[in-house]
Amino acid sequence: MLRFITRRLLITIPTILVVITVTWVLIRLAPGNFYSGEKRLPPAIEKNIREKYGLDKPWYEQYAKTMGGILRWDFGTSLKYEGQSVNAIIARSLPVSATIGILAYLLALGVGITAGSIAALKQNSKWDYASMALAMLGISVPNFVLGPILVLIFSLTLYWVPPSRWAGFPSRNIILPVLTLSAIYMAYIARLTRAGMLEVLRSDYIRTARSKGLSERAVVMRHALRGGLLPVVSYTGPALAFLLTGTVVVERIFALPGLGNYFIQASLNRDEPLIIGIVAFIAIALLVMNLLVDIAYAYLDPRIRY
Amino acid sequence: MVTVPTPRERTALVAIIMLVAATSSCQVAAKNEEFFGKTTPPTRNVLRYINGDEPETLDPPISSGQPEARIFIALYEGLVEYDPKTLAPVPAIAESWGVNNDSSEYVFHLRHNARWSNGDPIVAEDFVYSFRRGLSPELASRNAYLAYYIKYGQAYNEGAVFVRNPQTGEFLLEKDFAHSDQEVPESLSQKPLSSGEAEYKGSDSAPNTSFHQFMHSPARLTLPASEKARKKLIDADAKLQAAVRDKEFVPVRAEDVGIEAVDDYTVRISLSQPAPYFSGLLAHQLFRAVPRKVIEKYGEHWTEPAHIVTSGAFKVKAWRPYSELVVERNPFYWDFANVRLEEIHFYTTQDNPTAMNLYKVGEADAVLNHTVPNPWLDVVRSKKDYMDGAEAAIVYVLINVTRPPMNDIRVRRAFNMAIDKVTYSQSRRITKPLSAFTPEGIFPGYPQPKGDPFNPEQARKLLGEAGFPVMQRADGSYECAKFPVDQVEYVFNTQSSNRTMAEFFQAQWKQNLGITVPLRSMEFRTFLNVRAKLEYKGFALGIWGADYMDPFTFLNLFSTPTGDNGSGWWDQRYSEMLDAANRTLDKQKRYELMARAEKFLLDAQPVIPIETSATNWVKKPYVKGMYPNAGSLFPWKFVYIERDPAKWDYGVPAMAD
Repeated sequence: MLRFITRRLLITIPTILVVITVTWVLIRLAPGNFYSGEKRLPPAIEKNIREKYGLDKPWYEQYAKTMGGILRWDFGTSLKYEGQSVNAIIARSLPVSATIGILAYLLALGVGITAGSIAALKQNSKWDYASMALAMLGISVPNFVLGPILVLIFSLTLYWVPPSRWAGFPSRNIILPVLTLSAIYMAYIARLTRAGMLEVLRSDYIRTARSKGLSERAVVMRHALRGGLLPVVSYTGPALAFLLTGTVVVERIFALPGLGNYFIQASLNRDEPLIIGIVAFIAIALLVMNLLVDIAYAYLDPRIRY
Repeated sequence: MVTVPTPRERTALVAIIMLVAATSSCQVAAKNEEFFGKTTPPTRNVLRYINGDEPETLDPPISSGQPEARIFIALYEGLVEYDPKTLAPVPAIAESWGVNNDSSEYVFHLRHNARWSNGDPIVAEDFVYSFRRGLSPELASRNAYLAYYIKYGQAYNEGAVFVRNPQTGEFLLEKDFAHSDQEVPESLSQKPLSSGEAEYKGSDSAPNTSFHQFMHSPARLTLPASEKARKKLIDADAKLQAAVRDKEFVPVRAEDVGIEAVDDYTVRISLSQPAPYFSGLLAHQLFRAVPRKVIEKYGEHWTEPAHIVTSGAFKVKAWRPYSELVVERNPFYWDFANVRLEEIHFYTTQDNPTAMNLYKVGEADAVLNHTVPNPWLDVVRSKKDYMDGAEAAIVYVLINVTRPPMNDIRVRRAFNMAIDKVTYSQSRRITKPLSAFTPEGIFPGYPQPKGDPFNPEQARKLLGEAGFPVMQRADGSYECAKFPVDQVEYVFNTQSSNRTMAEFFQAQWKQNLGITVPLRSMEFRTFLNVRAKLEYKGFALGIWGADYMDPFTFLNLFSTPTGDNGSGWWDQRYSEMLDAANRTLDKQKRYELMARAEKFLLDAQPVIPIETSATNWVKKPYVKGMYPNAGSLFPWKFVYIERDPAKWDYGVPAMAD
């Protein structure tokens, strides 16, 4: 197990370097610059800007500088937001994204697993149909539709909760973004749980458990759920990484100062250090989450050994 | 088969019906209300303003964006400030000013009680520092070009050099190497000093100094700093080559730039050319006062809330990036007694519906311009808090005149005449049709020329003359078989309203000329690049907003072949006409000359004018002192919250004084 983890961690490093290099190249290929606006700059002013930010240096020098910084875990300073270091921006926006993300994740897990299990245990009942219909709805309605609908009902009509903006945690402002964000995950988890449970419930070891006289509760909680949740685990690991590192659409609709908002804006602004910083961060988060999923697999499924 | 719903299913049904009802009732309710959403004034004198994009920085010269400009108006003050209605320059830190007889030199008299937010006095040297800093190549301000009118301002910003004779200490002069055949009349600021009274007829001048004499000497020759560019220039000119032999190159320094602190409360600015609009330019953030001591102490971190010192009516209270910037009244501000807002909260919101939602539920008091989404217009426009005003911005179509078939003026005119701009503006609802190149209804007294009107008949005739006959088919539609459709396209940046516009043009050209021009949309920055480098064929979308309130800010676009021109059209005569206008002191006479230049431009038709923009935002009726002015810039010191509904704004507040 320890060898497995070490090996995986070692693979992570070159993977991230490749991701960063590809990103770096793509930014260079994209036309336009962080300083280009609606009005064209006189060439002398453009030259001053390029000199100030070191864009006049040969590409290998710029690449070496970027990479050198990353190895020291210093992503440099944002080009667009004068004087703000990328590390500080990530440190500031990550908690916002993570708060919304973790809450949405917990909500999705709680509701999704419960609904999925009930649907599986009472297969073909109206409970099953109701929860699967809702799940279908959750999957088909994209969050940029769901978000505004929730806002329309709960803020603009009923005036119950604020329509947007970040007011810290806890506050009433986070209710709608968390609901919007969790809907699709909730739906997926419900469906995955139901499918996983149905399969497990028909398997031999559950029959064994039942035949040795275990209570239904023990069968479900101790045996069925553990096996039935495997697909959920492999799904929610990377999902959690995405949730933590911010979701562009929800953060935009609700005007949240999270990582996703910065990411999309940095791309539109061609803000190279910020893009690379956030890409690196998301890549690391994803790889770590995948590793955790594999470890969780080994724990949940006794057949898997590394 | 009909199934009877079980009680539980019934509950679900009722819930769904309620949701639908709630959604639609909101729209019904909105139609009956006078204003869009809640109108309960805040309990304190606090304005919550939705400001759009996240501000890049709080360092005024660096940023060129509108959201930042509005923040800088709160935090920093310049020699002059914008008038809240007309945006004309009104006294700020300068109490009064005088201008010489050909608008090439200005003298500003500072008030004695202006202070920084830390209590230090603001003096003439602070402006000298702020101007020089704005122009310094190291700061690399995007706005620096606005200060190029100041003598040697451009040379300093470009890092240029003077040429000096090491023996005599004399410099080479620009006029000895002028390329233009035409003798450009020298502005007063370049000529040796006559008496101050004669030069500043009727307005007050300032005492003469040695720097002033230096300014009033003929302009020195400046050459590029980079050796390569300089060598290229010298090699191309035999006269220059001979002249620079045994000479030394001296970098243009900040101290050479034409701004001078005559005494603690007098600032004199010498320009390299007459610029009657220059005082209007000085309210721009590039020219607002920044604190030297703080900047020198903290470097680029001087704008952090812990260090920042400001010169305006407000100072920074808190900055939560990507969420809000909170500013509060500056107790040291010279006009503190008349500043009524205690705080302003600038919210960052990039999504228009999100901004409107906050406004509707009463969590924001005003939103930035162009925030009411098109589908909402029918509802919001009828409300009394909708702000509809003419805007100093135009929409036009650029034509790449360097490629056939659009290098033929008849073809260009035909495409212009084939678009019905009046119908288009009516469909857009928030704009006015435009036939000239300056916005309509912005510059009072400007005799704006008219371009060709909508005339499909004439357009077809012109195309025929150019060798592309338009035939009428049996069903009444037109076709122009000879026209090389593969040689033209219409490019624009991806945005739904731009697409609607593009489809309208396409339909008009198809209907009136029988030509289907392909459409191509691209990402914004890519688009800018393609347009600037003339990498498009045919047509490209153009949008231009005023830098200052003068027709010149529009006409100037085509005074050089490069820059924002984007059409490939340039004519020396046009540049000279504009030059002559700017040398004219009499305002009306100047406007007439300028209008003549505009007509010249319209006749050459490198552009198809489309529309003058209109403002499109909302503010609560209790927000007073805020006007839908042509630039959507608000001097916040005049804004206040009115709790008495009798004194509220019911509709657009009166813009005339």
